[in-house]
Amino acid sequence: MSRASLDDGTDDAGAALPETCLSFELRGEWGHFRRVEGNIVKQTYRIIPRTTVAGLVAAMLGLERDSYYEAFGPSASAVAVEPIEELRAMNVPQNTLSTAKEHMTTMPSRGHARISMPDPTELRQQHNYELLVDPAYRIDLRLADDHLRERLRARLEDGTSYYSPSLGLSEHLAEVTYLGEFDVTPKARETTRVDSAVVEAVDSVELEPDTEVNVERSPAFMTADEGGRTTRAFQSLAYATGAEPLRVHDIETREVDGRRVMFS
Amino acid sequence: MSLLPEPREFREEYEDDEKLAAELPNRPITSLRDLQYVYGRLYTLATAGGGEYAAYLTPEQSTDLFDEPESLLSLRVDLSGEEPTLDSDQPVAVERYGKEKVEAVAHAWFNAAAGFDHSVTHRTGKNKEPEKVSEYLHERLTAWAADEVIRDAALDHEDGWIVEALAALGEQEGLRDRIEAGVGEQLDGKTTALTTVAVKLEPDGEYRLPGEASPVFNEAMRARKRSKLVSKGEATNSVGEATDLVTGQRGPTVGTAEDPLNYFLGKQLEKFPGFDPDEAWRTHPVSEDVAVTLMNASTFVDACDYYTMGANVYYLPYFFGRLGPDDARDLYQLLYDLVHEDDMTPVESAYRSYRNAPRLREIGERFRFYVAAVMEHQTKRFDVFGDSMDGTLFSPVELARAHERVLRSWLYDAEGGADLPDPRLRAAFPTPDNWDVFVPDENALLGTLATGWYFEQTFDAADDDDASADDYRIRALVAVLSGEPLDAETVLAEYVDRLLNDESEGFPGFRVAAQYAQLCALATEGLLTGRDAYTAVAEPPQLTDEQSTTMQQDTPARADGGNVAAARETKLEQFLERTPALSEDQPERRGSFLLGALVGQVTGYQQVSEGRSTTLIDQYPIKAVTESKLKRLASDVLDKNVVYSRENNMAGTMYREVVDRLVTTLPRIDIDGDWTLDTTDLRFYYSLGVAYGMNNWASSDDDEQADDRSAAEEEDA
Repeated sequence: MSRASLDDGTDDAGAALPETCLSFELRGEWGHFRRVEGNIVKQTYRIIPRTTVAGLVAAMLGLERDSYYEAFGPSASAVAVEPIEELRAMNVPQNTLSTAKEHMTTMPSRGHARISMPDPTELRQQHNYELLVDPAYRIDLRLADDHLRERLRARLEDGTSYYSPSLGLSEHLAEVTYLGEFDVTPKARETTRVDSAVVEAVDSVELEPDTEVNVERSPAFMTADEGGRTTRAFQSLAYATGAEPLRVHDIETREVDGRRVMFS
Repeated sequence: MSLLPEPREFREEYEDDEKLAAELPNRPITSLRDLQYVYGRLYTLATAGGGEYAAYLTPEQSTDLFDEPESLLSLRVDLSGEEPTLDSDQPVAVERYGKEKVEAVAHAWFNAAAGFDHSVTHRTGKNKEPEKVSEYLHERLTAWAADEVIRDAALDHEDGWIVEALAALGEQEGLRDRIEAGVGEQLDGKTTALTTVAVKLEPDGEYRLPGEASPVFNEAMRARKRSKLVSKGEATNSVGEATDLVTGQRGPTVGTAEDPLNYFLGKQLEKFPGFDPDEAWRTHPVSEDVAVTLMNASTFVDACDYYTMGANVYYLPYFFGRLGPDDARDLYQLLYDLVHEDDMTPVESAYRSYRNAPRLREIGERFRFYVAAVMEHQTKRFDVFGDSMDGTLFSPVELARAHERVLRSWLYDAEGGADLPDPRLRAAFPTPDNWDVFVPDENALLGTLATGWYFEQTFDAADDDDASADDYRIRALVAVLSGEPLDAETVLAEYVDRLLNDESEGFPGFRVAAQYAQLCALATEGLLTGRDAYTAVAEPPQLTDEQSTTMQQDTPARADGGNVAAARETKLEQFLERTPALSEDQPERRGSFLLGALVGQVTGYQQVSEGRSTTLIDQYPIKAVTESKLKRLASDVLDKNVVYSRENNMAGTMYREVVDRLVTTLPRIDIDGDWTLDTTDLRFYYSLGVAYGMNNWASSDDDEQADDRSAAEEEDA
């Protein structure tokens, strides 16, 4: 199978979102979603960022780099992420090679297809990576693009993937389990317990003594330009470390598979 | 000294809710950058009284120079004639810098090891020789005025000629010597100072400092500072159209803004294929305004930082959710206190403010902290050993309180008055004087905890002076500050490693007592998690009688009757009953403890009654205890106990309460077969037993001896 590309012609960004979602579970022994505030330090998000979900699905489908941002844009897609295991992280120091210019070798020395590699004879530097331990999420994904959705469903049903799905860094492989297609039922604005991460409603989360509420702000949507890509929007998430539901006041939710979730 | 207005003044200045709300972000703080932005915003609001350049100036960097002699040196340049010249009478002026000169001096500090500050005013290094000071003054002309970015900015300004003239003067031959001579005439010796220029623009005018002479100095400064937002290291022009990660607004963003915590540097290639430092704005997009605001957070961020165990611990207070006007005033008060507080850690300072301010107490659970332990390998290579947006003030405070309760309980009885099982016997573990972890005082304990000293005393020391990710003490500190539980297995391993290191100077009984108090406090606060065999270790002991009534029914206290042996029986029974880790369904751990307790008792006997210098614990130190040696150790100890009992002419065995339990527990352990207890676990509870046994003497040993003998005589009769 060849790697597919999504150019503007096949993009169905204008189509309405379906009333159903594809649900699957992501699991791995380790995960690392580098926080954008740091590149010197290697801290991880606890909730898989929405852009990473998009990238992971694109990898499963074999979509070309930078080709899929429209298909996962705000009007063409909706994603709910529910942590299903306690979110735990640990420090794992790793030895890395210097990527300073003077330590990089570019091969071949001329021509347009060149790669740069760090000099393996240089001394290693130890960096501390914060890794998620046994991360597990349930993803509910709505895609407006019928073609893309059907391809994803086929992949999920077969348990196949074009590239190996991973949780952040490529060395942290992800296990993907298809849960099925479920109806998405809108619920009126109310106070309720939300199973997924709470999207852009941190102020409405009720602080309860026994539930530790954490917050983070991670990239949500990407966009491509001539030089590469940028984040089009960031979003604030609230979640409970213990993966319990949070009680949230006066919000709109959706019901999926007997659960309450918030899509973004 | 600080330039920040007092919280009262800040409140008065921003008493209008609407006006203040308009200056604050319109969404909750949900990331470190959001938090830094709020700090920068508050700082600018507090200090920006001085006009449009205020956000760019950094007077706080030099408040230490206020009113110091020879703290402001200026090169007096006469620009009123045809040619720029140094003042012939007095080329260099030396004076005291002070608060009233802040705007005139207009200093914009730049955090760079080599290079000059953004403003024409530049701060020297510490205690510089006159020759070096002359060099700094000369560089105002040769480096600052000659800088490309500054010259370009000056070109656009009507007073641009001033900068040109300064640059031209800088090229004059022999100038350096004249400056040196001028400095020599004025300066006594070494000094730390701001170096700048003072210019005379009119023939009969005065020499004026940059902020007073012309706006061109500040315009050029601003341009230079901006240029650093887009070029640094290997990036030359890192700027592009993206979404600001704080405001969410799309627009021009810059890639190499200074980060008050140095978490992000543009030069890092890392794991991005084809990553280009010039494209840093893509991965870390901040607009120019936000960038400058983030930089202004550094005064507050630095005030929330303290150093312990080779790492910088950051403890930045904020409030959960959207920051309202009242919150902003409260937060300013907290940060102001931190800037002015030298003796206390941010944890203690925040707690003091919290206790003293009813408003803060109302905020309650919304009171949060960003917590991080940062190791600076070099100035630009940082590692973070755990950070969290979600630290709470209550986690360390409650741990300190739990520790205090443990110390006051029947386990320790640090200040007397605990409900001891028998008043004639001591508490389960000793509470040595003059050791701060045994002082039952919430404030003192909170300080001990916040500084990391709490774990330094109980965990194994790191291999070298530098902090490392393997240093569990730092990990534990961050976990406790952010309310995350520690792994019981790792904690026991740290304890035992420390005990083994201490053992060369005899059995470290006080250390064990300190560790166990900590273990109990952590367990009580839910700050321990144990998997599998360690589940019970993570469970809290029962500290008070109210928690259980069955206890009293089963073994009534015999405060008014019974001999000391019976009192010991009651005490041991209570200890075992109330310690989940030593329950009957944990025979291996219970056996290890009982064995240790007997070793401790016999050791105490040997020391006191026999006057022996080599005791049982010397024969069986912690490191000698392993599962395979347990059986031999047990039979040796029991034998010895019997020998001493006979020597004392006792009817039964000494320490019968321990012996009886030991001989019923041991057969339940299949030492040769499926022993499962980890050696670490075994050694810790053996040590705990020894500490218990060694402390298990009556208020008078003579009484105890007499008591035992009379009991023996009774039975003989």
